[in-house]
Amino acid sequence: MRPRHDDGVRVITFENVSKIYEPNIKGLENVSVHIERGEFCFLVGHSGSGKSTFIRLLLKEFEPNEGSITVAGRNLQRMRRSALPYHRRNIGCVFQDFKLLPNKTVADNVAYSLRVTGQAARSIRRKVPEILQLVGLGDKMYNYPDELSAGQQQRVSVARAFVNHPSLLVADEPTGNLDPDTSVGIMQLLYRINRTGTTVLMATHDREMVDKMRKRVIALEDGCVIRDEDKGLYR
Amino acid sequence: MPFRFFFNEAVNSLVRNWVMSIAAIVTVLVSMFILGVGTFIFINLQTATKAVKGKLEIELFIDSSASPEEIDRLGEQIDAMPEVRELRFISKDDAMEIMRERLKGSEEMLEAVSGNPLPASYQIVLKEPEKIEAVASSLYGDPIVDKTVRSTLADEMDSSDNYMVVSQGEGIKFDQKTYLRIDEEILRVSGDPQGDRVPVMRGQSGTETAPHTASATIYKVDGIKTGGETTERVLVATKYLLAGGSGFVALLAVASVLLISNTIRLSIFARRREVEIMRLVGATNSFIRWPFIIEGMTTGMLGATGALGLVLLVEYFFVKNVVTQMPFLGAETVPLLWLVGLIVGGGILLGSIGSSLALRRFLRI
Repeated sequence: MRPRHDDGVRVITFENVSKIYEPNIKGLENVSVHIERGEFCFLVGHSGSGKSTFIRLLLKEFEPNEGSITVAGRNLQRMRRSALPYHRRNIGCVFQDFKLLPNKTVADNVAYSLRVTGQAARSIRRKVPEILQLVGLGDKMYNYPDELSAGQQQRVSVARAFVNHPSLLVADEPTGNLDPDTSVGIMQLLYRINRTGTTVLMATHDREMVDKMRKRVIALEDGCVIRDEDKGLYR
Repeated sequence: MPFRFFFNEAVNSLVRNWVMSIAAIVTVLVSMFILGVGTFIFINLQTATKAVKGKLEIELFIDSSASPEEIDRLGEQIDAMPEVRELRFISKDDAMEIMRERLKGSEEMLEAVSGNPLPASYQIVLKEPEKIEAVASSLYGDPIVDKTVRSTLADEMDSSDNYMVVSQGEGIKFDQKTYLRIDEEILRVSGDPQGDRVPVMRGQSGTETAPHTASATIYKVDGIKTGGETTERVLVATKYLLAGGSGFVALLAVASVLLISNTIRLSIFARRREVEIMRLVGATNSFIRWPFIIEGMTTGMLGATGALGLVLLVEYFFVKNVVTQMPFLGAETVPLLWLVGLIVGGGILLGSIGSSLALRRFLRI
């Protein structure tokens, strides 16, 4: 088992968290996980092992039945509903299905998460091209999502997640819909984001990728953590 | 809050759902149009009934053979009636004076008449104009009341609508134009001052009266019967119109709210995924809601603006065509500021109610 880094600043703390879905389906069972600032962490497991439950609990899409979750020093169970949007702004999200707004251009999609925070139009106009340049889509600003390839769409989604410079970036199977070469590109992007000091938590079942990266791996099975090691492998 | 951004979002959504948007806009348009025209009608009916109610009076023409004592006795009798609010005595001289006043510019007509053919009269204003018929009938039995006026005219008034205009002209005091027209009419019919038969105005059948009664007839028409009934009818009609109109407007308002709410609901459904994404990137509730609310308000405003234009058109044509033909209708237009406030304000209100309804039910956050 992995030693605990008690001296670091915790970004994510799960304390004995259990989640049971309505007709008695187990989501998570007594999960305790700590993730420190600046870590790059894989969450692996089969479909239905609880990866998505873990991430949705993080985003406070629903509440755990037991235990407590703390993100960036804020206890989610004690958080007011009105504070929820601010909690989410602190977490960049990347999903398997990209979740881009189909009626908005690439630039507007990225700008949306800035607008939400009430940023001035001028700083939006400055930041959006910058971040799109960073993900290699500087020339696709005015295209619509469906005019881009899957890999490009995922880059837009990563750009949107990162443009606010959140302290935590969560990716739920970001390479699930992509071919291996494209996946590598996205992984590199996430790695670079991690290098800026952003904590990255990535749920995946891409064995090759996990093995290549040699980062911390938390393995889930049937809602329980069965393994948690640094520089781990998928296995 | 970046309202320009919200506004753009709202307009985009309106355009994307244009079929439903147009349906909602047209509903608002129709209901606001009816509200506007209803207000226009209501204002006019109110002034009309107010005028009718206030000025409807009974005129009792006194037989020229009556002695001053008899006249006083009748006056006291009338004054004692609880229904009477105001009583005026018009002597023969007063009547002549009034006549002279009205015939200003064509005094030669008066020269044709020898002496003073006009009867003295009592003018009675009632507390409740609805009772005019009852009071009138009770007084007509008095021996000094000139029944010839009553009998000749009442019969003719019943048979011919033409007299109603005259009778109302006396009872309700219409505007100057109408009086002028009546005067012209008199000039025309009495073109031959020597003639001993003066036709009553415009009446094909009303040619049977003697000169002295004729002039009295024309000016002192006993407008009680028709005047009273018409007034009653107007009063009742106003009530029904008002009740029916408000009910109709209320129904239409509900329809507009529901249609707008439905339109917004559709656009929420169409953008369900978007709303979910918005929440994920940390949009606050109000940030998500504003575009929808603005969408509803814009829908309401567009409909209302159209309705405003139509109402103004209706008013314009009504005043232009109907009123010049029937000046006694004396149409009043609704003050523009009122109308704008009422219609546009109403439209925007409907829009925002509709969208907040949809948001409350379909955008639980």
